[in-house]
Amino acid sequence: MGNLVQAELRKTTTTGLWWGLLIPTAVLALGWGLATGLLGQFFVDFASSSDVDEVSDFLGVTPDQWKISLFGMARAINISTIFPMIFGAMAISGEINRRTITTTFLTAQSRMHSMLAKMLVYVLWGAIYGLAIMLFLGIGVVLTSESGQLPDAGGWAMLTLVCVLSSILMTMFGVGVGALIPNVAGTIVLLLLYFLVIENVLHLVLAYLEVPAVIGFLPNGSINGLTGSVAVDLFLSSAGVVPTEIEDVLRAIAGAGGALDWWWSGLVFLAWSGIVFAGGWAVTQSKDIT
Amino acid sequence: MHDGSGLIAVQNLSKQFGSVTAVHNLSFTVSPGSVTGFLGPNGAGKTTTLRMLLGLVKPTSGTATINGRPFHQLGQPGRVVGAVLEAQGFHPARSARNHLRVYASAIGVPDAQADQVIGLVGLGTAADRKVGGFSLGMKQRLALATALLGDPQVLVLDEPANGLDPEGIAWLRTFLQSYARMGRTVLISSHLLAEVEQTVDQVVIISRGQTMFHGPLDRLRQSQQRRVLVQPSDINALASALRAEGVQAIEQLPDGRLAVSGVDSRQVADSALKAGVSIYGIQEEQVDLERLFFQLTSGQYAGQAPAPYQQQQQGGWA
Repeated sequence: MGNLVQAELRKTTTTGLWWGLLIPTAVLALGWGLATGLLGQFFVDFASSSDVDEVSDFLGVTPDQWKISLFGMARAINISTIFPMIFGAMAISGEINRRTITTTFLTAQSRMHSMLAKMLVYVLWGAIYGLAIMLFLGIGVVLTSESGQLPDAGGWAMLTLVCVLSSILMTMFGVGVGALIPNVAGTIVLLLLYFLVIENVLHLVLAYLEVPAVIGFLPNGSINGLTGSVAVDLFLSSAGVVPTEIEDVLRAIAGAGGALDWWWSGLVFLAWSGIVFAGGWAVTQSKDIT
Repeated sequence: MHDGSGLIAVQNLSKQFGSVTAVHNLSFTVSPGSVTGFLGPNGAGKTTTLRMLLGLVKPTSGTATINGRPFHQLGQPGRVVGAVLEAQGFHPARSARNHLRVYASAIGVPDAQADQVIGLVGLGTAADRKVGGFSLGMKQRLALATALLGDPQVLVLDEPANGLDPEGIAWLRTFLQSYARMGRTVLISSHLLAEVEQTVDQVVIISRGQTMFHGPLDRLRQSQQRRVLVQPSDINALASALRAEGVQAIEQLPDGRLAVSGVDSRQVADSALKAGVSIYGIQEEQVDLERLFFQLTSGQYAGQAPAPYQQQQQGGWA
């Protein structure tokens, strides 16, 4: 198994895809980070004007102490982890497309062995992408935010943890979908459509139908819940007593509307990844490589 | 685990792709120590059979084993069997050396082995170039190098001569023969008998997914008939005379000659003399293996002859 893991690792490092996708990931995270600080600044200036004093009364602290960067950071992580997901999606579909899957299967004890080795290597890559996202996002946020809006050390650590977790889980989900739909273009289009359009529409419908709790059990809803819930929790921990209605609004802003606790969200998404991977495994196991 | 015999055994193997029967009840064995040619026209089921042997395609029925085991029970398959299936299984952006190193680690052999096989197939100077820029012949060599990484006991090659230049084919021939002489098993498929005639000792000929001939190439050679091509002054008289002597295999060729099988030229000349027919030319011909191969495999996907050219009616002045 160690041999196969090394082989899979070499496959990823001997082509340019890893940095080809890492560059836009870093740019996106940096951009979101910068925008988060700027928008936060704009919002704080607006909120500090006397007209919206009621809101600050609700939150129990003055606007310049709101850690609103947290919301932007949660959103940034959600968006940026699309790239590691695509990287994962290419793991198996790319090999089928390039026809290298033949040699891969000829040199492995079994198809299951090579798929597991792949999964391990892509978990590692998911973590690397997650750290990169956090690094560039952090740089962007720190450059443009007032120190009062930034999380404390514990907050940074927590966000880094969920960012890396989220990135790993998204990569694993991608690997599973790539095995399930062994077609590079089909896989990527489906994933982007689903994560950027389809499920967002679904969220609106579910919210309209007044069953927002379902959202937390959907793939995008649960992975957003992982980061969003942490962001809201961190925000609330420094914001004093907040009425439930405002909390719901904050959760929606963080992209975690209807979401469960962060660790529950993580488990729900892990289950989705497991289902998709099992499906991909079943397809790959019985597939005729012609 | 496998028995280390180097034996390939295909038994009652069938594969159905939807309504298409690609392989139908195929049986043959391949022994170590010789190069076996796996021959048949395009679409005869060669590639499907090899892929079933290598665990890439699941048989509808029957078994295909290497060393007494199906592929997925070989343990470390890369060390038992090496295969060249297509010259396309490369990532274009990966260098040849890196391609080999990826699979060297999968098989569990040191990187030095990758450098060794790349030199062995003559790609040493191109090792650090990206495979995307390789010619078909270079890709074939790289595919062979990949197959050799695990120093396997059994070598399976699907149309390995495709894209190789004559020099490359000659090199491959020598290489495969010496590989087999080390007591290893070599199975090589082709749709052209002539291409592998000088390489193989044994042949398995299939057509329409079924075995048509299985045995030593020499036995196939011996089964072929000689024929005599003769140009007599009177075709009908000579044909009648030969028939009177019990010779039945007489055929008239388009060029006006007679082709007589199963006799030698002396007998034909004697018959002609008795019948009072002059002979303007006589020649003995060995039916070549290709023709025999064609007879064994003809019929499948036989193309039609082009329609005769219709000369246009021309309005003449004459």
